[in-house]
Amino acid sequence: MEFTVKSYRFNPEIDEKPYYKEYVLNDFPGMTVLNALMKVKAELDGTLSFRRSCRSAICGSCAMKINGITKLACKTQISSEIEKFGIIKVDPLGNMPIIKDLIVDQEAFFDKIKEIKPYLLGKKDYIEDDFKALKDGEKIKQPVYYKTEFQTLTGNNDTPNCILCECCYSECGGVVANPKYLGPAALAKLYRYSEDPRDNDKNGSRLVNGSKPAGMFDCVLCQACEEFCPKGISPVKTIVKMHEKAIKNSITFSKGAKHIIGIARSIQETGRLDEIKVAVDSVGISGILNDLPVAIGAGLKGKMPPLRLKLIKDMEDIRVAFKDLNLEEKHD
Amino acid sequence: MINYAYYPGCVAKESGKELDNSTRFIAEKLGINLVDMPEASCCGGGVIDGFDHNLKLYINGRTLALAEKLGYDILTICNTCTLTLSEVNEELINNPEALKKTNDYLSKIGLKYSGKVKVKHLLYIVRDEIGLDKLKNAVTYSLDGVKVAPFYGCHILRPSSVVKFDDVENPSGFEELIKALGGEPVSYVRRTKCCGFQTILVNEVTSTSLAGNAIYEAQQNKADVMVTPCPLCHLSLDTYQGVAAMNINKELSLPILHLPQLIGVALGGSYAEMGFSRHNISFRAVMSKIKQNKLK
Repeated sequence: MEFTVKSYRFNPEIDEKPYYKEYVLNDFPGMTVLNALMKVKAELDGTLSFRRSCRSAICGSCAMKINGITKLACKTQISSEIEKFGIIKVDPLGNMPIIKDLIVDQEAFFDKIKEIKPYLLGKKDYIEDDFKALKDGEKIKQPVYYKTEFQTLTGNNDTPNCILCECCYSECGGVVANPKYLGPAALAKLYRYSEDPRDNDKNGSRLVNGSKPAGMFDCVLCQACEEFCPKGISPVKTIVKMHEKAIKNSITFSKGAKHIIGIARSIQETGRLDEIKVAVDSVGISGILNDLPVAIGAGLKGKMPPLRLKLIKDMEDIRVAFKDLNLEEKHD
Repeated sequence: MINYAYYPGCVAKESGKELDNSTRFIAEKLGINLVDMPEASCCGGGVIDGFDHNLKLYINGRTLALAEKLGYDILTICNTCTLTLSEVNEELINNPEALKKTNDYLSKIGLKYSGKVKVKHLLYIVRDEIGLDKLKNAVTYSLDGVKVAPFYGCHILRPSSVVKFDDVENPSGFEELIKALGGEPVSYVRRTKCCGFQTILVNEVTSTSLAGNAIYEAQQNKADVMVTPCPLCHLSLDTYQGVAAMNINKELSLPILHLPQLIGVALGGSYAEMGFSRHNISFRAVMSKIKQNKLK
């Protein structure tokens, strides 16, 4: 089968602006997008630049946008892409500056990974709100856990599989909106360490730091990180687990935590989502005043929700749920 | 008539009443009997998991049990309600421990759930169960000449392991429906991206920029109107459109419709019946154009 690869091209040293270049190839059984790009580079155009290494979905180097979705080129079959889209259109990863062609600058991504302290905290150097690595020469005395044991200990069966390929980061709605947002890979790693029984984080400061602006409560819950992870990891689920863990440990200073508690409280009181009450609980009166033009605009259109909501029928059922789960006192 | 346990969600009963009203309008025209569940609670707005996972199971398990008692599948008109109820349904069906725990709670309030209910969004009920041919035959005002930008949003597509209505990489259900109404679907990249609603109270600037970018792209692709199957997306796209325009520093003025409003107009609904005056961005110019396309 003959097919076309349409590749994003940009060399800032010679090109004024980016452009697409097309290459026509013939496939072979089992051909991957990476096979196709390597064939282009070897036989048609040696100037095409892209990252690659293991060809086995282990190293994470060849992540790129393939027909608009971020994937590993080595794990993506030509046949299935052609069947669905009729072409192989390749673009560099999203949310990162482009260096050349399909190669992006990964510095911001790895800075965020470093920011969450991706190692076990030692016993001596712990200061609240300011993590420090071990001192030179210091070693943690502890048993070595094998992966299966770690899973049993923490119930954390997927985040250690992360290959830092940046597929989630490229698709993340939160990073699109806020380039400072830590992003799914770093937050999944934060969860992985916050759940590790060997980690010396006695006061939950990983969760405190993770709750700060541009942290876990800036997740837009778009589910793209779970959907497009080539290793089957769900960063968004780990982020939500950290929300729950933070709130249960009274780490509730962030607007995001207040927002979640506001919704739960509203359900406990009325069975419904009280839009006004949730807004007040989340951002306070000053936040509401900032949004006054939007509120007035909505009010003029008749969209102001009722100030006092009618309770749902059989409201007592919901109270039983809160009582059963011992969640009532959380609302006082 | 096809019966469904109707789960409009909270916004459609509060600030977005026009969504509930237009859903009831088209249901009657298309032979859908919406059976109300006044006992049903809020699903938790997509974030209740972050408060307590078991609470998510209990309150949504209760809604599923109410529908099972009625003997009907659930019809939703909100992406986030659809995902939350679907996630809980999956967990209760596949995890016996979760089902037992939830049924222990349900037994205290006189309910039981056995996993028979399916959760379906209106968009895919119209496409798959009513059928696009029947929809096409019911059209009285064609959307001919109207460029409609479908905005899927997130939770009707992702994660595809839970919501399995469409091809997550290249969905087509919305476009097929627009074509059945006589309209021209606008193709644009951000049709499946996030509207940012979930962080609108946490970080308004970044949140509204997502909605703003989607609207701007649709406008650049000559859309006359954007349509969404989710009232939360609608809040971001319409109510906050002015804020979004300021935050992305672009001129934005695109009418945003709820899905049943678009269908309702094609089925003969008036401006007042569809509640268009409740929207920030006027639909009047496009409506006048559609009113010239009378078929029957």
